[in-house]
Amino acid sequence: MKKRLLAALLASAAVLSFAGCSSNTTSSTPAADNNSSTPAADDSSTPADDSGNADTSSETSTPEATKVSLPAPVAASDEAKKAGTGITVSESEGKVFNIYAWNEEFKGFFEKYYTVPEGIEVKWTINPSDDGVYQDKLDQALKAQASAAADDKVDMFLAEADYIIKYVNSDYTMDISKLGVNYYDTEYEYTVSAAMDTRNGAIKGVSFQCCPAALIYRRSIAEDVLGTSEPAEVQAKLSDWTKFNEVAKTAKEKGYYMTASYVETLRTFSNNTTGPWVDADNNLVIDSAFEDWMTQTEDFLKNEYTLTSGVWGDEKNAQMFKDGKTMCFFGPAWYYNFCMGNAMDPEKGCSGDWAIVQGPQAFFWGGTWLLAAEGSDNPEMLADIFNAFTANEDICSALVEKEMQFTNNMAVNQKFAEDPDYGNAFLGGQNDTAIFVELAKNIKFENKTIYDQLLSEKFPEYMLDYFTGAIDKETALSNFYSFVNEKYPAIVTP
Amino acid sequence: MDKKRKSVSYAKWGYIFIAPFLIVFIVCQLIPLASTVYNSFFENYMNGLDQVGPNFVGFQNYITLFTPKNGNIDILNYAWNTMLMWIMGAIPQLVFSLLLAVIFTSARLNIKGQTFFKTVIYMPNLVMASAFSMLFFTLFSNVGPVNQIIQAMTNTTFNFFLDPMATRSIVAFINFLMWFGNTTILLMAGIMGIDQSLFEAASIDGANSTQVFFKITLPLLMPILLYVAITSLIGGLQMFDVPQIITAGSGNPQRSCMTLIMALNRYIGSGSKNYGMGGAVSVVIFIITGALSMIVFKSMVQGGDKPKKAKKIKGAVK
Repeated sequence: MKKRLLAALLASAAVLSFAGCSSNTTSSTPAADNNSSTPAADDSSTPADDSGNADTSSETSTPEATKVSLPAPVAASDEAKKAGTGITVSESEGKVFNIYAWNEEFKGFFEKYYTVPEGIEVKWTINPSDDGVYQDKLDQALKAQASAAADDKVDMFLAEADYIIKYVNSDYTMDISKLGVNYYDTEYEYTVSAAMDTRNGAIKGVSFQCCPAALIYRRSIAEDVLGTSEPAEVQAKLSDWTKFNEVAKTAKEKGYYMTASYVETLRTFSNNTTGPWVDADNNLVIDSAFEDWMTQTEDFLKNEYTLTSGVWGDEKNAQMFKDGKTMCFFGPAWYYNFCMGNAMDPEKGCSGDWAIVQGPQAFFWGGTWLLAAEGSDNPEMLADIFNAFTANEDICSALVEKEMQFTNNMAVNQKFAEDPDYGNAFLGGQNDTAIFVELAKNIKFENKTIYDQLLSEKFPEYMLDYFTGAIDKETALSNFYSFVNEKYPAIVTP
Repeated sequence: MDKKRKSVSYAKWGYIFIAPFLIVFIVCQLIPLASTVYNSFFENYMNGLDQVGPNFVGFQNYITLFTPKNGNIDILNYAWNTMLMWIMGAIPQLVFSLLLAVIFTSARLNIKGQTFFKTVIYMPNLVMASAFSMLFFTLFSNVGPVNQIIQAMTNTTFNFFLDPMATRSIVAFINFLMWFGNTTILLMAGIMGIDQSLFEAASIDGANSTQVFFKITLPLLMPILLYVAITSLIGGLQMFDVPQIITAGSGNPQRSCMTLIMALNRYIGSGSKNYGMGGAVSVVIFIITGALSMIVFKSMVQGGDKPKKAKKIKGAVK
């Protein structure tokens, strides 16, 4: 009898386990649907919005979806210009303001320059972006947004150029015009179009930086290799890739490295592709720009013009010290502020021995957008933050002067660009803002897919075996394809 | 009535006593196992922020897993990598641990300060695998101390993490270093469990150390050795943290350090949360583990001492 009872118990446990897991997996789908149908107000302006979840996914990955145009920019009101100086929010605002981010960069600026409204606590959730961890944690939180307690709801999150499209073209982000935040005529157009939902033209957030990237070089090494350290003359000698490759050879002969990482120039190429990583039919495409990059990098590694270190590797970073042997680095304003700590080291560094020029090809890199999460209970504070970092000229000026940033406020940037007394001590007194103002005109925000971050991050890693001569190109590519298949089942690879 | 009373059944106590284990086993092992198998028959992943599935696809996930792509069946390569790195670590580990265990338990040598040595050799196991991996990554990196020594001696550097065998060896060595202490202690316990009078009798009969080791220690140690081998095999097949951290999740160079569990992590980890393929990989790992454990068990139990051991255990129970 008891045996039978136990058997029945076991059997029912087994059945339950099946039932349990099936209900588990299905329950996640309606939750997502729920979420996506919440911003019902959006529908009025969107004829295409009714199509639902499945359709939008294919739309996000196709570039020609940008059929909706930007609204006309307006001048920032005096009120917007005073944002971030400690507003009084209404009683209905949530008491906890949750921000998701992938590093401490913006947190630092936020804590220094933004005055949090009385009675509100700001909570940061920071996860590293490597290997897609940040996106993962964020997705989890956004999906739980509808059922989360008011104080746990994500209010604002940061997104990078590599994957912003995934979030703005979704219903997890909020139209900021509903918060009373406008597209100001001082913002760079690309930063606004990047934050625009291509399905309905709604703008979902703002960027606090503009990220035209430059070639950052060591003056003393340039003097030795090129015979000059003057930016204008250096630029003339590095103005295209043929010249760049020639100089790499000269640098090697004099005992220097041209770049410190084999991935160093990748962003320059990947930013100038002719098409996105994934085409309209979800096929993976290795763009001709990547082919060019491979040709260059293979040559650079074979001739030891560069190192096998990753773009964030210790070996590369060690090259930024005074005794480093590397002439060129590539990056935007945030790069030397945030990633060149070794160069700024008071003892082992070489602050002042640097300068920037446009380099062989214009490109931009990264940029941090602040996006409003749908379901946030802090609309007033959100609007205040957005205005503070785009319209408030005091805050933007402080970012340039004290933090070496290139802000998303053209008026402020222009002011510093024209100021004969302004110079960046790290760059030997060079007025970097003046150069970035010029470079910002070249930025094209195009050919983006939701997969860009991991694809661009891992592609060079898998090609390294080919560059070192260990395996042939086809094998290296097939290794990369395997990675893509494992990570993204939706992408079709050769 | 009387009859019924007389036959008191104690069986229920048996069930009651095993109930806690059974409940934990069902909740924590059986249900996940069943749901893994169940999930492996579905297409179920995220594409960006959109959920795809779950749609029943039958054996499609398994077919995808074993269909050659660009001339490779990746899952077999991963299984090979895993086995190779396990063997490279486990065989030296067994030999070394056996040697240490014999030395430490030898009445003839009678080593002083045994507790101290036992603690020291067990130490590496207390360090987290990830910390160990980071340490070795730094040691063997291009700018690390090992390369500085090589540089000083030969004036060139060797990039360990671009050479498949070098990277695999480092992974195997870390596993060896972490686990040999544990194995030594298990084997010592096994040797100490052997009746001392057997060793005495052997030495009276004039057996030398080698003979004692091969004729007495080794045969009687077989059950423990078997246990060590199988647990090591299962642990080895689940190798994950060390190669994952040493290769920053890429399994490179040339994917030579991609293990089965790393592949599983690729599928269900960040990106697409592909529970269907993840389930299929898990089931394959389960089958491989089961099959290999059976092979190890069969090959080690054979060799004549099986009936002897069985008798002994029976006697002990009585």
